Amino acid sequence: MEHTSGLERALRGVALALIVVFFLFPILWIFLMSFQTNEEILRIPPSPFFTPTLGNYAALISGKLTTVSGTLDIAFMRNLWNSVLLSTASVAIALVLGVPAAYAFARFKFRLGEDIAFTLLSFRFAPPLLVLLPLSLYFQQLGLTDTYAGLIWVYQLIALPLILWIVRGYFEDISPDIEHAYRVAGHSWWSTFTRIAVPLAGPGIAAAGLLAFIFCWNNFVFALILASADKQPVTVGALAFVTASGIQYGQIAAAIVLSVTPTLALALYAQRYLVEGLSLGAVKG
Amino acid sequence: MRDRAKDFFTAFKSGQVSRRELMLGAGKLGLTAASANFLLNAAATRAIAADFDWKKFSGKKLHLLLNKHPYADAMIADLPNFKTLTGLDVTYDIFPEDVYFDKVTAALSSKSSQYDAFMTGAYMTWTYGPAGWVEDLNPWIKDPSKTNPAYNWDDVLPGLRASTAWNGVPGGALGSPDAKQWCIPWGFELNSITYNRKMYDKAGVKPANNLPELIDTAAKLTKDLGGPYGIGVRGSRSWATIHPGFLSGYSNYGQRDFTIDGGKLQAAMNTKESKDFHKMWVKMIQESGPKNWSTYTWYQVGTDLGAGASATIFDADILGYFMDGGDNKEAGNLGFHAFAANPAAKAPTPNVWIWSLAMNSFGAQKDAAWYFMQWASSTEHDMFGARKMDFVNPVRASVWKDDEFRQRIAKSYAGYLEQFDASSPGSKIYFTPQPLFFDVTTQWAETLQKMVAKQVPVDEALDQLAASIDRQLKDAGLG
Repeated sequence: MEHTSGLERALRGVALALIVVFFLFPILWIFLMSFQTNEEILRIPPSPFFTPTLGNYAALISGKLTTVSGTLDIAFMRNLWNSVLLSTASVAIALVLGVPAAYAFARFKFRLGEDIAFTLLSFRFAPPLLVLLPLSLYFQQLGLTDTYAGLIWVYQLIALPLILWIVRGYFEDISPDIEHAYRVAGHSWWSTFTRIAVPLAGPGIAAAGLLAFIFCWNNFVFALILASADKQPVTVGALAFVTASGIQYGQIAAAIVLSVTPTLALALYAQRYLVEGLSLGAVKG
Repeated sequence: MRDRAKDFFTAFKSGQVSRRELMLGAGKLGLTAASANFLLNAAATRAIAADFDWKKFSGKKLHLLLNKHPYADAMIADLPNFKTLTGLDVTYDIFPEDVYFDKVTAALSSKSSQYDAFMTGAYMTWTYGPAGWVEDLNPWIKDPSKTNPAYNWDDVLPGLRASTAWNGVPGGALGSPDAKQWCIPWGFELNSITYNRKMYDKAGVKPANNLPELIDTAAKLTKDLGGPYGIGVRGSRSWATIHPGFLSGYSNYGQRDFTIDGGKLQAAMNTKESKDFHKMWVKMIQESGPKNWSTYTWYQVGTDLGAGASATIFDADILGYFMDGGDNKEAGNLGFHAFAANPAAKAPTPNVWIWSLAMNSFGAQKDAAWYFMQWASSTEHDMFGARKMDFVNPVRASVWKDDEFRQRIAKSYAGYLEQFDASSPGSKIYFTPQPLFFDVTTQWAETLQKMVAKQVPVDEALDQLAASIDRQLKDAGLG
């Protein structure tokens, strides 16, 4: 038995290692590519050994890419900033609007409640391009074309339904008895919501917020159609390295590393909220 | 601009100082290479200022929509001169090519006045023109009060002028007398052979002179080089697979996409000659093309040549030009060769892609926009781009005759000028203009993929393609 268990452990270790390599290899390869010149990346056969250069990062951060044919301006850091601004503001607004709405849908029965909730979810059904062309006509009339405010508004199509439906589920899972007990002690509805319901649904809110942030961050088409070049996010900005005169693989890799960093940092930070089982054991018997 | 620097550059233009003295002098005056280029063309810009009221719209502001491309880079480098010349302020939005036409289509279809002028390809104007999204530019070109007398429209290569003009009638000849000039040619590419001279020497072969020869040469290269494959052509499911080498070779065999009978279009891909051509093309890819050919676009075809993964491409001449420079591994090793696919043909017939400038019909300041367009397509700017930047291929005959430009190209790009001179006379758009262009060519590319993958025999696949296209034409009232 001991022998079998040792073999099993070894096999499990090998299997785990294979899975980790399989999933992490593309990320590792991109990370390595970001420290290589285009010529090194395109070597045949490819090799993991190279002389590292910080040139790709320097070009992205300084905004100047020096090539043989001259110096090109790169707006990548501006794109990165746009992504941070659009995603953060959109998720913040969606949280402010979505969490109370989710609570209302979870706790109260009111006329057309389910219909309203479903309508909000249906925003996710339509292909974005179908919505965008008519929307761009309205935006022109309203003066919202090419404004951050307009884009953040449109981003609610992504963030709000996600937050509302995920957080609603969390509120429904929390027993209303805790809230009732707090209300019996003489506290107001609002303070019950802020002091009891929101902290208990914390992990759900964090998960929904993180998911909404990632969806907003990865969006491509909204800003492309509705805004000019100076308001484009990284998803559009990274394509600038694919030019008629060649693909700058090194810069694309460095751009990916830089653009993944904020989302990764946020995910690591939010992780502790995600694993906290706040509501466990809160209600006895 | 500082007067000393200005005088210095004017002296160079009039031949009083040499280029070496100019650059040394510019260095002493504290000018960088980039600003030296700008100042150099400033002298040329002052030269075109005579006899025309360039300041008419001074103080106004234009907004452009541009594609990230060496042509746009050249224009941006020269833009301060336009601003000084006209007093117009110019801002621009520049988008990567992958998403550029989505942006243009969205802006035009929503009747946005945001952009005054934009970059486009001629094929796209077959949609934009009849839809009323872009202006016919003839009224501007022909109006002496709006166009600089030195503009010299006739200097633009005739095949390109014709290829960007269409009367809007499906199947109507490009450049017919009643055609509308939907856009102004700006820079263009024709299709020919670019090959790796080192690899050719190693395998002991010479550039092929026709398609049967190319099939043999590519097969020998694939076999002998032990790694790199023989011939790179595009293969993705897109119109862009049909328009470069494929259509250039197809046209050289005298084949057309459509026949026109009584104003009605009929698909012509299933003639015997067309089937024979397709069989050769498919054989070439199967024997000597890239392994995942069906994903190949401009980028893969070019990158493989530049990185030494392929020995030959039959694609845009400027794709070979770009791969012969920069930090590409094979930079300096490439050669260029004009190519007539049909052994019986007298000369090459390359299809062309023309980056052009078009005017937004919904723009609010069309006359001012025309000022920009005529400056950007002027001899002076074309010359500046061709000599100093990668504005290749220029569209003006006078620039192709310019010694400085020719010397620059001859020095660094072996055989490029000879290739161009042999290819250029027969170069034009060989497609039949019609509104279903993108649907038809995408389906054509899809059929090519099936033939190369041996899913359907060539004869049968082309009969099916022609029948399907005829049905679509009928539904659209064109067939």
